[in-house]
Amino acid sequence: MKAVILAAGEGKRLRPFTETMPKVMLPVANKPVLEYVFDSVKNCGIEEIIVVVGYKKEVIMEYFKDYKDIKISYVIQDKQLGTAHALQQAKNKINDTFIVLSGDNIIDQNSISNLINDKSEYSILIKEHSHQSKYGVVFIEKTILKEIVEKPKEELGKFISTGIYKLPYAVFNEIEELTSQGIYTLSSVIQSIIEKNKNINTIIADLWMDIVYPWDLISVNEIMINHFPSSTSGIIEKGVNIKGAVSIGKDTTIYSGCYIVGPVIIGSGCEIGPNACIFPSTTIGDNSVIRPFCEIRNSIIMNDCHISSNSHLSHSIVTKGNIIGNNFSSITGESTIDTEGEFKKLNNIGTMIGEDCTIGSNVIVEPGVIIGRRCKIDHLKRINKNIPSESKVM
Amino acid sequence: MKCVILAAGEGKRMHPLTFTRPKVMLQIAKRPIIEWNLLNAIDAGLKEFVFVVGYKSEMVRDFFGNGEQWNVSIDYVNQGKALGTAHAIGMVERFVDDFIVLCGDTIFGANDIKNIIKTDNSIGIFEVENAEEYGIVETKDGFLVKIYEKMKKPFSNIINAGMYHFNKEIFNYIKKTNKSPRGEYEITDSINQLSKEKKIKGIFLKEWRDVVYPWHLLDANEEILKKIDRKIEGILEENIIIKGNVTIGKDTIIRSGSYITGPVIIGKNCKIGPNCYIRPHTAIGNNCHIGNACEIKNSIVMDNTNVPHQNYVGDSVIGSNCNLGAGTKIANLRLDKKNINIILNGKKIDTKRRKFGAVIGDNVQTGINSTINVGTTIGNNCFIGQSSSVKGEINSYSKIL
Amino acid sequence: MCGIIGYNGFREAKNVLIDCLKRLDYRGYDSAGIGIIDDKLQVFKEVGEITHLEKEIPTIRGDIGIGHTRWATHGAVTKENAHPQISPNKKFAVIHNGIIENFKKIKEDLEKKGHTFTSQTDTEVIAHLIEDHYNGSLEEAVFETIKNIQGAYAIVVMCEDEPEKLIGARRESPLIVGVGDNENFIASDIPALLKYTNRVIYLDEGELCVVTKNSINIYDKNKKEIEKKKDIITWDYKDAEKSGFPHFMLKEIFDQPNTINQALRGRISEIGQTINFSEKIEKLLSNDIESINIVACGTSYYSGLVGKYVIEQTCRIPVIVELASEYRFFGTRNKSSLVIAITQSGETSDTLAALREANKSGCKTLAITNVIGSTATRITNGYILTQSGPEIGVAATKTFTSQIIVLLLAALKIASIKKTLSSNDIYYYILRLKELSRQIRLILDESNKIIKISEKIKDSNSIFFIGRGINFPLSLEGALKLKEISYIHAEGFAAGELKHGPFALLTKKTPVVAIVTKDSTYNKLLANIGEIKARGPQVIAIADENDSEIEKHADYVVRYPSNSTLLSCIPITVILQLLAYHVADLRNCPIDKPRNLAKSVTVE
Repeated sequence: MKAVILAAGEGKRLRPFTETMPKVMLPVANKPVLEYVFDSVKNCGIEEIIVVVGYKKEVIMEYFKDYKDIKISYVIQDKQLGTAHALQQAKNKINDTFIVLSGDNIIDQNSISNLINDKSEYSILIKEHSHQSKYGVVFIEKTILKEIVEKPKEELGKFISTGIYKLPYAVFNEIEELTSQGIYTLSSVIQSIIEKNKNINTIIADLWMDIVYPWDLISVNEIMINHFPSSTSGIIEKGVNIKGAVSIGKDTTIYSGCYIVGPVIIGSGCEIGPNACIFPSTTIGDNSVIRPFCEIRNSIIMNDCHISSNSHLSHSIVTKGNIIGNNFSSITGESTIDTEGEFKKLNNIGTMIGEDCTIGSNVIVEPGVIIGRRCKIDHLKRINKNIPSESKVM
Repeated sequence: MKCVILAAGEGKRMHPLTFTRPKVMLQIAKRPIIEWNLLNAIDAGLKEFVFVVGYKSEMVRDFFGNGEQWNVSIDYVNQGKALGTAHAIGMVERFVDDFIVLCGDTIFGANDIKNIIKTDNSIGIFEVENAEEYGIVETKDGFLVKIYEKMKKPFSNIINAGMYHFNKEIFNYIKKTNKSPRGEYEITDSINQLSKEKKIKGIFLKEWRDVVYPWHLLDANEEILKKIDRKIEGILEENIIIKGNVTIGKDTIIRSGSYITGPVIIGKNCKIGPNCYIRPHTAIGNNCHIGNACEIKNSIVMDNTNVPHQNYVGDSVIGSNCNLGAGTKIANLRLDKKNINIILNGKKIDTKRRKFGAVIGDNVQTGINSTINVGTTIGNNCFIGQSSSVKGEINSYSKIL
Repeated sequence: MCGIIGYNGFREAKNVLIDCLKRLDYRGYDSAGIGIIDDKLQVFKEVGEITHLEKEIPTIRGDIGIGHTRWATHGAVTKENAHPQISPNKKFAVIHNGIIENFKKIKEDLEKKGHTFTSQTDTEVIAHLIEDHYNGSLEEAVFETIKNIQGAYAIVVMCEDEPEKLIGARRESPLIVGVGDNENFIASDIPALLKYTNRVIYLDEGELCVVTKNSINIYDKNKKEIEKKKDIITWDYKDAEKSGFPHFMLKEIFDQPNTINQALRGRISEIGQTINFSEKIEKLLSNDIESINIVACGTSYYSGLVGKYVIEQTCRIPVIVELASEYRFFGTRNKSSLVIAITQSGETSDTLAALREANKSGCKTLAITNVIGSTATRITNGYILTQSGPEIGVAATKTFTSQIIVLLLAALKIASIKKTLSSNDIYYYILRLKELSRQIRLILDESNKIIKISEKIKDSNSIFFIGRGINFPLSLEGALKLKEISYIHAEGFAAGELKHGPFALLTKKTPVVAIVTKDSTYNKLLANIGEIKARGPQVIAIADENDSEIEKHADYVVRYPSNSTLLSCIPITVILQLLAYHVADLRNCPIDKPRNLAKSVTVE
């Protein structure tokens, strides 16, 4: 059986992080989300993964060129019109029943196995409703799918769709029909199939996480970091205290006096300390420097970052190439974030910073602030609202 | 009649020992695992061998050459990509007609090999206690019905031992074998197909030892050492005590005050003592130095490694070219006496042993008075600084200062 | 430059040879041929792509053969001139990479003896000589033959009467033996045989190998048999894939944020404030260096010129940069000098010859190269790898910037040993070095600006590049990249030199790219730009992001992020690379395989 993974989308709601990479390549626990999907799929007896790419496809193709253990082929979706349209691009590579899933959701191997082994012609993975899924809320009767409602106005229903399906080759006829009418989403196709009285069996997924907004990365990181192997490489000086599951990469030096409490992942080529504190559920990428007396907690720091001394980061995301001056404080707390006209209340959130910013010393950022790409923030500033990409705060 | 030995595997579960050598070249009682199989096969009357190699194949080739040292002929076939046991066996088609296959990382006995030679189209089977770790075999009237995959609650304790007697027919089935769910071409699938058309006899083995994890090396080491003779070739000074069956190689010098309780095997050109204590089931390689006030017990120490001053090594496996600084000690027992866990490739595994020390790769240096905790794995080329305390999994090229 | 492959084993030679030749494709070639012994010796040759050749070969059994891709040096590109070349009795076939310097005399002598030749190649004389010397033993015949020939060669020979062996021999041009099971290979480089085996034996100068299906015997130039060690190659042939980029060159340009970090990895410590190399290299860079000679060819020569500025400014010792082809005959030999050779492949013929001369004169030698195990790493006192991964595009991009990074690190190390830079200064440079990766990313993101400028200049007759100080070699490199791949004539000049001649060439159709950095040369350069504009050409300035004056002087400005003057050369180089790439792209040039060029120049 083959698997089609949809990875063409930009992920506009994840800006500024997706300005330089497709959303499927955002890292949690130091691996792109898409890699977790590949890992889950490859051990289920899938013979080939067909990846539908589009936005910034080179990032995906370059990263996975060495990926062994399963055949990977790429099809290109030139215009991102919708999930059904994306799936349609893979039509020529399929000739039988297949599974389709999105590259930006974490899904566990067991659930995929269950989906593959399900006897029904059409099957879908669903999850108990914890927060709204971008794939819609589902209504079921016994285990048969009755209706998918995308973006319901109220919080209805007990289950949500994961957007992961097992479909027969015949579904492409349905897709042709709808895309020619300008309907491009997979949920619409499914709804149409339901209306034609076909039974779609539902299976409850074990572990499934969707990444829709930038802050989702933090919670997903917190969960996935527990699955990461812990091992020590690099140089660990004397007087370093390491507790719990901590993974330290090659050519990384942990200087004396550092206190690291796992689960923590530190990439390769980093320099940490002396006397820096890294607390649980923190991931630090490659080539980053964390200078003395920093405290970093429950955060994602990506590659090539430079965090100067006495800085405090908690529940925050610092993307690639950021240079942050000393005494940086990300205040962590409650925040109500305005997204696309809706307001999301978050309980514990810090700062989210796009790529390649330069932030001066003694900068304080209020909870929930999103700073765009390539921003320059001068010293002694207090930031209490979002900063768009390429801005300067003087 | 040719004997095919499968020796291509990396043996990921034997990390860090297999970073620099293929699994079949790991030494037990001073011989690589594959050599034990070679010797037992020779005892059973076989003279022509084909080794299927792959990972670090040059180590196998360099060690065995063309086989003349053992008076046999050895051909090599490179498996290339590790695509499974059926793929590996399929590679030898042009070399063989009627042939035996031995999985290189399991130790078989000579008598069992003789038995399987006598019976065309047969498969070796063995009874174990932990059948849930292996593929179960279902037989009827002595003939194979089916080989099953690993299952959580096996209905039988009889497993596939990894020894087969095939003829050229098997290659047709190998060609038709599809990839298993884990992405490999498994010989068990080919055999299941073959058994539908031909009768395959199941032959019970009397001797069988599988080595999967580093502590299994210690178990195998213990078992094989039980059978060694007392053979002392080195130079013995006065006032040493040697009890039990101890083999000491040429040019090795045992200095005064050494106390060796067998079964112990010590290689060539070693310097042992003065005043050291070597306890049972220890295998020491060639060119090693076990010095003053050292105690080693139930451990494997590979070539060119020094345990030179005031060290304790218990229930451990130490690679080659290592140097333990004075006072370095390896702990092998938890204070709460629970089973010892090891972190291997990032995962925590229960060794099911109350006593287990460390697994140390090659070229590791430790500074004076460093302590190595129970269940620690240390990769190759690591440097453990003086007075450091190490635990968990330390990857190759690390420095713990 | 020619690709060589020999096979002796159990597979069908035709399939193996064609497969391996296709893997040598990246070297560039104009014709190809194979020879196979299947009872009789048969040879097939075609001009053009290997796929042409493939179609022309009938099914032929035979498990021993030789294959060759030719990059013409002597004689036009014709079927007759392609290899293998055969001897008069049609029993000996030879493939050859290199140039036989005395071939004309040999040919005349043979013609006097009654030989007739069918090609204009130097290779054909080798086949004739072997037949002449043949007395029952192929290796003896080859030994005698190589005594007669002068020049560089890597040859593989086979004979219909001894169909169980292949003979290989080398002088200067590289040759390796690939060790298989019941099969063996001889090749000019590793990618040719990586699919079949990863065990290789490097042949050294003057050595000869006899390769059968199951044995390899190697003899030194005195015919004494020697033991050689096998190396295991750990590359994956998938490293050479384009991953969605339209050209390898673009992929390699975009790889630079990564490759710069790779070149720095493990060698700088920000918190420790040190530059670290292996013990052997640190010893080599120790206190008693009074001067440095840098030898290199092509783009590596230009990175050497950049290195000169860097080392002189930081270490205060004189640096002489010489073209390797000149140094080997005329270079200054000074025992207290450290000779640094820069060669991406580690096999560049001229550079190796220069190194051998330096060794002979008692100088200490250091190689900066990208290929581990290459000849350059084995004939020097030490080597530093640029760690960029394989570079497939013929025009050097990521290896150039990595070479400069390594030179910068070496300079900083020497400066810290000699104390010409304080530890504060070193720290400052370390921080700036760490910013480079990010700065390159910024420039790559702004490629569109560069594309717009490329559109404006793509139809020019000539393009000039000017710079002062450390930017002068960058102007040379900018011009080289542009002309290599876009076929537009381009030249680099020291900005101060224009008025001494080249001004005469300036017209409205000859845009000038001026590299402008905010240092002591700034005002002079603005003046130069004024002078140029007065004569017609458009001026494209590559300027610092904080330069507010430059707009008033230049027609177009491309900005690079601020950094120290010594380190700005890296972002400026990336801008020049993108400019060259996009001009070539807009002109639809075959960017990865420019006409007449080959990746590693192993003949002189």
